[in-house]
Amino acid sequence: MIQVENLVFQYPKNDTPTLKSLNFEISRGEVFGFLGPSGAGKSTAQKVLYKTLSGYEGNIKIDGKDLTDWDSTYFEKIGVGFELPNHYLKLTGKENLELFASFYPDGKAKKVETLFEMVDMFDAINQPVEAYSKGMKMRLNFIRAIQHDPDILFFDEPTSGLDPVNAHKIKQHILDLKEQGKTIFVTTHNMNTADELCDRVAFIVDGKLEATDAPKTLKAQYGKKAINVLLQDGQTEEFPLTGLGNNEVFLAFIKQAEVKKIHTMEASLEEVFIKITGQSLQV
Amino acid sequence: MNKIIKLALTDIKIIFRDSSLRVFLVLPLVLFALIIWAVPNLVSKYDFLEPYLSLFLIVAVIENTQVFSFISSMVLIDEKETEVAKAYGIVPLSKLEYLLSRFLFPYLFTVSLNVILFLVQPFYDISLGANLGISFLTALVVPVYVLGINSIVQNRMQGMVYIKAFNMLVLIPVAAFFTPDKLKHLFGFFPTHWIFQSIDYLTQGKTIGMLLAIGFLVLGGLLWWLSSVFLRKHFL
Repeated sequence: MIQVENLVFQYPKNDTPTLKSLNFEISRGEVFGFLGPSGAGKSTAQKVLYKTLSGYEGNIKIDGKDLTDWDSTYFEKIGVGFELPNHYLKLTGKENLELFASFYPDGKAKKVETLFEMVDMFDAINQPVEAYSKGMKMRLNFIRAIQHDPDILFFDEPTSGLDPVNAHKIKQHILDLKEQGKTIFVTTHNMNTADELCDRVAFIVDGKLEATDAPKTLKAQYGKKAINVLLQDGQTEEFPLTGLGNNEVFLAFIKQAEVKKIHTMEASLEEVFIKITGQSLQV
Repeated sequence: MNKIIKLALTDIKIIFRDSSLRVFLVLPLVLFALIIWAVPNLVSKYDFLEPYLSLFLIVAVIENTQVFSFISSMVLIDEKETEVAKAYGIVPLSKLEYLLSRFLFPYLFTVSLNVILFLVQPFYDISLGANLGISFLTALVVPVYVLGINSIVQNRMQGMVYIKAFNMLVLIPVAAFFTPDKLKHLFGFFPTHWIFQSIDYLTQGKTIGMLLAIGFLVLGGLLWWLSSVFLRKHFL
């Protein structure tokens, strides 16, 4: 559905390109994530794909058609959840959604009330947006992005500004959209969001893709198939997972004292990121 | 067309819900009161003001454009500052539809204000043709002003500074009336000069066709250029 080949983009006032020869594909029904620190080029890549930035080099195809050949019907096909809330503060949530729904062909827009119920905001539907909390505004961003039932969705830091409960709900809604066959491109520097949502992630640093694979594969590749045991007396030891039940040394070790903690040594996505790129995500 | 009307109506809703913008809608009433009652009274008391009647009319006509020059500038600056502008960059609304929806109502409203002003002012007999010509030309100041401001500023604070500067630029060609005749068109660099001269010629009973044509050319060209600059920047 989305094919990107040798994408290079340079802002007119910069000396060097922000995106340096990116190559990736996103299939229908896939959640693909760009994971990287601030300023790595994540949002720029999305902006090129949703046609806010032009003047790129390379090839971008959407449903087999060059991005430059798409007219304004492209915008009926896509939905964008911006990183920061952006709404008319003097209008109510309902008025904001109805305004943007009016730009799409009749019959495409979902019912506003249903959308507000979906994100637990039905009670605030007629309140001016200036009375909303940041989390509510972000949820309004989300439902605005999906209200016209687009095939391709771009989410920039979709859980930013949300409390854990609402972040979980939004992630669940994104997974539901994936089940409906939507193509979803997420950018985030939050490893948990990427891990929970994405079928594949690409690590982007300084405008270059350093690795692209499924989170599970990356974590297995860079982690250890082992467990770490910590006893109450402070002793700690690592044991391979293979044949653990018959490992005499392991069995003897855990009999020495009360076991305080046992955990697997699979790498977290952030650890994989640091190993591959040599950089931290929380930049 | 529905899209244009919906967005135009939203602008009106926003204006009426923002007390700092709503209050500016009173300005035309003040101007009308000045032109209908205050200025005639002043002129009857102070004869030396009579040669400046056309200047009073010119200032009133241009001040009518300032209502929506300010209001629409602030609406669009707010849209930029709150990043709502970004959301317009990814909807199936053409750039022309976007501009039309933002300026159709302010333009026609300003035209109407000046048409009425020319009809109710007690100083000169002005034909309907000349009235409409000058009113349609003068109202072009609104989109030019708003697009100019919004091509430069990023937030309300910057907006207030530039609005002050633009207000001065709009009025600078008044100086042409205190300049020797052969030099007055040096102010033609400022687009409002052609509006001011048209009104002045009209009040002297001279033909204004050429001045109107130049005015439409200058303001139209400026509008086209500023639209392209604005559209390149506003949705980023």
